[in-house]
Amino acid sequence: MADTMGHSATATRNTSVALGFCLLAIAPQIFEFIWSIGTIFGWGAGRGPATVVISHATALLAGAPSALLAGDTKKSSDVLLALMYSYPLFAVAILTIFMTIKSAQDYIGGIVLMALALFALWASSDLQGMRGFSFGAGTAPRMFGGLLVALSAGIALTGLMTDGPALAHYSWRGPLFVMAAILFFALAIRPLGLVVSAFVSFLIAALGSHETRWLEAVIVGACLTLGCALLFPYVLGLPMPMFPRFLVQ
Amino acid sequence: MELFANLAHGFVVAFSPINLLMCLIGALVGTLVGVLPGIGTIATVAMLLPITFGLPPVGALIMLAGIYYGAQYGGSTTSILVNIPGEATSVVTAIDGHQMAKQGRAGPALAIAAIGSFFAGCVATVLIAVLGAPLTKLALAFGPAEYFSLMVLGLIFAVVLAKGSVLKAIAMIVLGLLMSMVGSDIETGASRMAFNIPELADGLGFATVAMGVFGFAEIIRNLDAGAEMNRDLVQQKITGLMPTRKDLIDSTPPILRGTVLGSILGILPGGGAVIASFAAYTLEKKLAKDPKRFGRGAIEGVAAPESANNAAAQTSFIPLLTLGIPPNAVMALMVGAMTIHGIVPGPQVMQKQPDLVWGMIASMWIGNLMLIIINLPLVGIWVRLLRVPYRLMFPSIVIFCAIGIYSVNNAPVDVILAGVFGLVGYWLIKHDFEPAPLLLGMVLGPLMEENLRRALLISRGDWSVFLTRPLSAVLLAIAAFLLVLTVLPVLRAKRDEVFTESEN
Repeated sequence: MADTMGHSATATRNTSVALGFCLLAIAPQIFEFIWSIGTIFGWGAGRGPATVVISHATALLAGAPSALLAGDTKKSSDVLLALMYSYPLFAVAILTIFMTIKSAQDYIGGIVLMALALFALWASSDLQGMRGFSFGAGTAPRMFGGLLVALSAGIALTGLMTDGPALAHYSWRGPLFVMAAILFFALAIRPLGLVVSAFVSFLIAALGSHETRWLEAVIVGACLTLGCALLFPYVLGLPMPMFPRFLVQ
Repeated sequence: MELFANLAHGFVVAFSPINLLMCLIGALVGTLVGVLPGIGTIATVAMLLPITFGLPPVGALIMLAGIYYGAQYGGSTTSILVNIPGEATSVVTAIDGHQMAKQGRAGPALAIAAIGSFFAGCVATVLIAVLGAPLTKLALAFGPAEYFSLMVLGLIFAVVLAKGSVLKAIAMIVLGLLMSMVGSDIETGASRMAFNIPELADGLGFATVAMGVFGFAEIIRNLDAGAEMNRDLVQQKITGLMPTRKDLIDSTPPILRGTVLGSILGILPGGGAVIASFAAYTLEKKLAKDPKRFGRGAIEGVAAPESANNAAAQTSFIPLLTLGIPPNAVMALMVGAMTIHGIVPGPQVMQKQPDLVWGMIASMWIGNLMLIIINLPLVGIWVRLLRVPYRLMFPSIVIFCAIGIYSVNNAPVDVILAGVFGLVGYWLIKHDFEPAPLLLGMVLGPLMEENLRRALLISRGDWSVFLTRPLSAVLLAIAAFLLVLTVLPVLRAKRDEVFTESEN
């Protein structure tokens, strides 16, 4: 009884890992979709969201399978992405369901690294290869990309063959608030200037630890902001906007 | 005699008021970074890179060098007094140093650490001066094939000396090489893996990645480790700095051995201060008549690793100054600092920029002298700094890093990219990948690709050129030999033993 229960637990675990890989397999497509939403508001250049969805969907469902069967025809970049990146990862995801993962840390680490390598291979697929005996722009990226695929496969295999640590525990609080502080700083430095953005980012970052005492944080944040406002533009002579634009004008 | 003339010239440069000031600032910042846990040398040097923009190149490099070897001093202070190594290089010092402090011998432990460091620093300074010129001559005999093989050897060294799985370390290097290829191709100008994003057209900034992977990722990691560590272990007043006569006699041979070992490991590519201190400690334990004393306050366990890490921190400048190849991540950042000031690292630097090279070498000796003064009498102040709680320190570091990255190119996108790499670094730590080889791969990437292409172009596409040129063949043979050694089960167990010992 205990045995079957243990087995079903690993089965559900494997399924969630496999689902995660499936998501990873279409991550670039999703990312381009999110990116393309900006074009509606006129930010950035690129394809609109509708075109992105349709072309990736056709590439994944129709274009790539037909290209697989038809052999070497001229393939569009979306079809290539599906062929070189998404399909191998889908295959890995399906295989994952039937595996016993001995060390999730190694296995998942290896597969994610492999995804990165496949993505790099795709990204450099439009570059020129060898010209005679001289390297083209794409030769070295493809060489190292291929090497990384092999190495990461090795790491993933180690995760299947040998016992090792399970997945480490991730916490959300620290990463979330530190990233929020960085993002706020990046977006605010131009329009709001150093003083406001540094002080507010300090307080956002301080949220990352539950030990923060607010009075103390505000005082230290103010002192630090003052210090930076003197150090960077005046002592070091690095030009930087200091105060919000609407106040200066 | 040319050597003395050069050194004299160096001292003239280093004794100019601005350079003395830079040296002092470097030593102070280095000590500060060394003392504070949670902020490492790599992140600090990356953070201060933009600051050096406005400085003259000699002063800038003197300051950055000061931070690196200054951190070796500062790290030992907290290791001994509070059992918290401020730097990875002082991890082993904590084993015996803190035991000595508990027995009320904190003073002698600190003194021996400082004396050992100072001695090692002096020897290493002389060594750089002596080896500089001949190695530069050797470097001139290097063709592209030899350069490529040397870099392969360096990367293999980095793998051998990295903690944990060999496979993972190699994968990190290759990932670093791939990341270095983002942006314009050097020869054809084609845009590679940049997806028409203008910010990527110039490639990923090295300082940006370093700050993300070492600065932000460390902060996030420390936060979820439940930052407030047990910090108030030995807080009683330190009395009597002077070591006894017996202490001095006992620690002389370890200091000498540590210096030699550290100097060698520092010169070798891929090495550096961390591994030197581990190796020196292990060596002392092997040589000791009574190994049981180690871990219970043996003074040799403080003297050897502290001399070794300081020697290595300084001799690792040798490959950088003579061959233009950075042997570790901090030196890689120094390359960044040099390029900011329009200096291309390589054998020609010695001839074209004698002020820079000899001034820096001389400043190291001066810096070591300053560090002894900064560290021994003022030890109380540094220890008090440890009372600054992490909850106040980490937002400050985040802000300082963010402003630093922004000021490199005045580009907000760089700040966001560094944040993304912070998350990547956090993920890497969680999956037990070492970020240091990644950074080394990223720095050596462009150099390696360029030399590989050139070598193959000269040989008309014949790959055997790497084996038919004798120097290159020797270098590759050593690399292969090392790799085989590491994978062999017997030695692997030994290697793991060294690393686990350092963790306890």
